[in-house]
Amino acid sequence: MIKETMSRQERFEAAVALERPDRVPVMPLMTAFAPRSQGITQGEAWRDPEKGFKAMLDTFNDLGGFDKLYKPNLFWPMIGGRFCSSPVRVLIPGRQLPEDALNQIDERELFSRDDYDKLAALGWNAFWDEHYEKMSGGRPMERVISAQNRLLDEYIRETEIYHSQDISPLFGAYVDSSIMAFSMARTLTQFTMDLYEVPDKIKAAMDASCDDLIQNALDVVSKTKIPLVFIVLERGSGFYYRLDIFEQFEWPYLQRYVDAFLSEGLTPWFHFDTDWSLNLPYLKQLPRGKCVCDLDGMTDIVKAKEVLGGHMCISGDVPASLLTLGTPEEVREYCHRLIDELGRDGGFFLTTGCECPVDAKFENVKMMIDVAKTYNGST
Amino acid sequence: MREVDKMEEELKKAFLDMKRQEVIDLVKKEIESGTELLDILKACRGAMEEVGKRFETGEFFLSELIYSAEVFKAVSAILEPGLVSTREDEDSKGVVVFGTPKGDIHDLGKNIVITMMRSQGFTVHDLGVDVPPETFVKELQRTDASILALSALITPAFVSMKEAVSLLEEKGMRDNIFVIIGGGVTTDFARKEIGADAHTLDPTEAIRLCEEYGERQS
Repeated sequence: MIKETMSRQERFEAAVALERPDRVPVMPLMTAFAPRSQGITQGEAWRDPEKGFKAMLDTFNDLGGFDKLYKPNLFWPMIGGRFCSSPVRVLIPGRQLPEDALNQIDERELFSRDDYDKLAALGWNAFWDEHYEKMSGGRPMERVISAQNRLLDEYIRETEIYHSQDISPLFGAYVDSSIMAFSMARTLTQFTMDLYEVPDKIKAAMDASCDDLIQNALDVVSKTKIPLVFIVLERGSGFYYRLDIFEQFEWPYLQRYVDAFLSEGLTPWFHFDTDWSLNLPYLKQLPRGKCVCDLDGMTDIVKAKEVLGGHMCISGDVPASLLTLGTPEEVREYCHRLIDELGRDGGFFLTTGCECPVDAKFENVKMMIDVAKTYNGST
Repeated sequence: MREVDKMEEELKKAFLDMKRQEVIDLVKKEIESGTELLDILKACRGAMEEVGKRFETGEFFLSELIYSAEVFKAVSAILEPGLVSTREDEDSKGVVVFGTPKGDIHDLGKNIVITMMRSQGFTVHDLGVDVPPETFVKELQRTDASILALSALITPAFVSMKEAVSLLEEKGMRDNIFVIIGGGVTTDFARKEIGADAHTLDPTEAIRLCEEYGERQS
């Protein structure tokens, strides 16, 4: 074991600030894995929040503890509060899905192409206030607000319990990037058609929505008191779109997010699903040592280090397939390589590539955590 | 310039410029002027082939594949009713059974690849999402397909993929079926564990791998 000379929080802050911590901080982005590893179904954990919460805590302890807990519970939306993403429908285990299935997003068109003008006129919040009930087939907005507030209260209560046990949840709020929010509301295909056919309408709608999305996230952070905003990015990457689209529809808004969050003392965490290799150089325009670039395995993490090393903390990227199908020895080798390539000089956070899969082998997840606690890089 | 060449050129330009309505108007105009439906379809396939090539060279991105695939779908919907009698599988590049395995309901990637494959002359039987292994095997038997394509975004689908491959082995079909996997969560590591023949996250590479398999077989 590496002798620990920092608290979990100090270790995390050192990594973000590109300083060298006592050891590489580690965290599986764990949700559905917890109930599975505690022998309860996903349905049970969704129906009974206490059981879900206990499963998270027990799994954290069974794994020997780690530096940040992704979030206290396994629900979606990730935290309550006003819409920080598109109000997508989530299919719930034991309800719309089999009892032990993984919850999944039912992606469908939530508004039509004609609604961009309305979004441009009303902004994000007022648009959903007006549109939600119609879109959801009559579910009153008051019910949604009440549910969102309840979820948020629950999140705060759970966070306090964790804090009392020296466990700190990662994010104080989450928010979708502009392309992510709009793409999820229109579907990937329709949003892509829109980008080519009505780009000006999208631009106007995004211009009018950006401040609301930022403010919604800030409102949530003001209650959770956790100074980190988890920004969900997937669909604005060079995996999907050419750079001129990124430059018009993602980057300017992301810069506004970062400015707003940094000015409030919050850490922007970029959750970059898919391949962002082409977009990484843009991140060098952001302030040094203030943000986290979280990769899911599709972006070449070693190349990311070449681009962002010494400028931005990188997090990632033990692949889901390795955790599910691999052996502990294979996980060990992979994590050693990550620490050798990225972790020795600081600025690295060892995490799962996106979420820890529901059917990951316990011994593999444990190995990932143990490597961070025992290995500081080859000499 | 021959009329057919002119049509091919105009359609290709409209496809490559990402002009859905222009493509549709051109197709309708050609139908009205009596051009063979199969010639129109072939011209659209040629345009899609060029889209694929530009994607492979990095000039086009996935969004251009998504866009042109949607345009091709719209064109197919216009042409297909009249093509039924001529559109037999004799000029098919291969017959594919495609689906998202049991445990996963994501289909965005699958649908894009299927449209691209169809536009390139493959016959694709789409089984949808959450498909049990036995259903894949039954469909392979029913259609005499030689390619099984499995797409997934979450790891629970790995179990179903593995079961589908095992079932093929049990039934003595494995040697005659090319199994290709793709989708966000898949990796080459997963391919080996599952026992599939190929893995890709790239729609045009999926087509190329299936074409190469077809060439090896013939």
